[in-house]
Amino acid sequence: MLPPREFIKKIRPFSFLSSKELEILMSGLEVELIHKGRTIYTKGQARSYVYMIFSGLVGLFENDLPLDHFSKGEVFGIVSIRGKPYATTAKALEDTICYLIPADKFHDVLESNTRFSSFFASFVGRSFKSFKSIALDQQVPEEAVLVQEIDKIVYKDPVICGPGATVRDAVARMDQHGVSAIVIVDAEGQPEGIFTQKDLRRTVVSGDVRDAVSSHMSSPVKTMEPTETVFDALAAMVKAGINHMVVTRDGKVSGVVTRDDIQVHLGPSSSITAFFSKIGKAVSVDELKHIYSNINKSVAKLASVGFSFYRLTRMITSVHDTLLSKVIEAQLGEAAADRFLWLNMGSSGRKEQVIATDQDSALVYRGEGEDWKGAAQEVVEVLAKIGIAKCRSGFMASTAQWNQSLSTWKDYFNTWFYDPVQDHVRYLSIFLDIRPGYGDPDLYRELTDWIRWHITAKAIRRLAYDAIMIEPPLGISGIVGLITGVDLKTFGIYPLVNGVRVLAIDNDMVQVTNTMERLEGLKARNVIGEDMCHDLLEAYAFMQDLRLKHHSRSVLDRNAVDNRIRVKELDKVDLLILKESLKIIASFQKFLMKKYDVKRADSYITSVLVGPPSAADQSS
Amino acid sequence: MALADERYCSVDLETTGLNVKKDEILSFASVPIRSSRIVVGDSYCTLIRPENYKLEAMKYHGISKTDLEGALPFSALADTILRSLDGILVGHSVEYDYRFLKRYFKKIGVKFKKDFIDINLVEKWLDQCCGKLGQAMPFDAIMKRYGLEADYRHNALADAFFAAQIFQMQMMRLEQQGIESARQLIKAVNRCTYAIW
Repeated sequence: MLPPREFIKKIRPFSFLSSKELEILMSGLEVELIHKGRTIYTKGQARSYVYMIFSGLVGLFENDLPLDHFSKGEVFGIVSIRGKPYATTAKALEDTICYLIPADKFHDVLESNTRFSSFFASFVGRSFKSFKSIALDQQVPEEAVLVQEIDKIVYKDPVICGPGATVRDAVARMDQHGVSAIVIVDAEGQPEGIFTQKDLRRTVVSGDVRDAVSSHMSSPVKTMEPTETVFDALAAMVKAGINHMVVTRDGKVSGVVTRDDIQVHLGPSSSITAFFSKIGKAVSVDELKHIYSNINKSVAKLASVGFSFYRLTRMITSVHDTLLSKVIEAQLGEAAADRFLWLNMGSSGRKEQVIATDQDSALVYRGEGEDWKGAAQEVVEVLAKIGIAKCRSGFMASTAQWNQSLSTWKDYFNTWFYDPVQDHVRYLSIFLDIRPGYGDPDLYRELTDWIRWHITAKAIRRLAYDAIMIEPPLGISGIVGLITGVDLKTFGIYPLVNGVRVLAIDNDMVQVTNTMERLEGLKARNVIGEDMCHDLLEAYAFMQDLRLKHHSRSVLDRNAVDNRIRVKELDKVDLLILKESLKIIASFQKFLMKKYDVKRADSYITSVLVGPPSAADQSS
Repeated sequence: MALADERYCSVDLETTGLNVKKDEILSFASVPIRSSRIVVGDSYCTLIRPENYKLEAMKYHGISKTDLEGALPFSALADTILRSLDGILVGHSVEYDYRFLKRYFKKIGVKFKKDFIDINLVEKWLDQCCGKLGQAMPFDAIMKRYGLEADYRHNALADAFFAAQIFQMQMMRLEQQGIESARQLIKAVNRCTYAIW
């Protein structure tokens, strides 16, 4: 056992190297102690070594301006092309011990191991997501298929026929292809309906096989885009009580997925689908509680092996939405659906729920004098019994203040927009992320339209201030406070979400609440550049991934869930990317400061005038 | 020659016991330090087949009889070992290692004479410079003091490497104490003998 080898081997991406490749690096390794203040190399100097820090602190400089800092386990002095000179100057800021790897040997290994080299390339290109797939364990649980795109499990061309075909012809074609359903399409290939074995039974009983298939088909037909996830498809089928999902590309039928298809990929033991399918059939609260807790555990497992936030959160959102519909219908009956609108806010409104999410809801009804408080109370209580905790700040449909008529809601927004004091800014940052959860879609349209036309410049500017107020904890030696824990939500996620929200609302995107979708929309409108959009998406996904992983550990270990990430949870690479992500947020804040002419410097005055920062106690 | 420019060689042996006259060497490791850089790539490490092997020693360093059966005897390795011992010997209680090696070389008719620096004594000397009592410390304790991972399997190569790292850091402190050459260092630490323990 050679200690440097053991040290290096544990650090990604060196952990990807074969023992032969490690041997190549070791064969030229030297260990040097560099005194504080000494220059390690200067810009333009021919490159002889790649450095890995064993202990100490190194700064990179360009023309005497500090660019970056590196500490234990970090690598510097890498240039992507063999033989190029150093691009910066490196100095020891503390007494530092470095492992020196001869640049030639490093490049030999870089060229022989693609995983190793793509890792460094990804880092330079700030593609943190690809990082993840490179670093992800090869072994994946069978549930992995759930977060794949539907396209991946559609193998057959769709079996289709025109609306004029007879039932007999249609069934003959189904038999010929061995499928349990046929899609009826118009001349353009767009789906008009679907004819399944269930429809055939009905035809036999009450029709004639010589009738046109269109007179016995189920219509309209549920469709999905091929880019949605397998889990979304399953969720939609469970919700609608159907077995076939038609996949369309640009409006044309491109395939059919059945519940059986999904089960085949998962095997009967897969807990998520098994439990999820039971939601529809569950008859008691206890049953739902059992289902919910098991789904959470399965999601936690997926998160802990590194499945991405963007995909898992959609799954969590589907589960919550399905539970909500189930509970509302069970408590209030289906007829209630057209009489009110149940809204999700906060992370649920943004479709960004993580595992330990509490209830954030509001209710809007049309007529004055109606009373939905009792009904909402029942729903909230049942959801709490199932295991979705109540919101401690009372942002729930059961709270009188948040269970109001449409006109009262408009008055609320009006007050908040014209008088954006601290509390009102807090309300705005919650209620500008609303998403219809259940009920009348017209109420949602009217409310969001109203918001769109009444938002004030004053409110926008105040929201922008809220987004830049908290400075990422970046210090000279990396991230400040990591030993005791850094609150990812306060320092990373909120400034980003808040900033993106301001830009979205300011650019007429009131109905778009998802941060990723908002960013894409802002890019399409040229509000932000492609690079900024890319960097923010990567940083956001990374921080949410970290948070999700952190939560999943808590769920699996049955500990209380919080958002404080501690240094011991992070491996070297996570630490590196977290630092990069916080830098991205800092520069995004600079962009907002300039755009909305707000400064952090007046935070003293503002805090005196309007109280302490709100971000930390916002609703999740 | 300045302290930092000297050639050193960190050395460690695993032996069947502490009796320099009777016990046997089971493994040898050396890690060179040149111009204050540890040249890991030039380190050397080998098992040595003993004439007899006490089973109890196995508990201590985990070298098994089967491991040793494939090894060469000292006489066959002596040349390589001698070549690897380039410069002033450095190690924890290195005098023991030195005396073991001296006996082994003598047996095959090679005169072995080297300067050596005990990092344990260096540490004690440095402590005394800082006004502390300066006590002898076990290897693990010195490692910990210098922030080195104490959680490792005891073997000759790892110990030789860690001793090199400790000496590298000691050199910096020694320069601050006005030690300018290896000669001066050897003189200074010799005043700090084991006798005062």
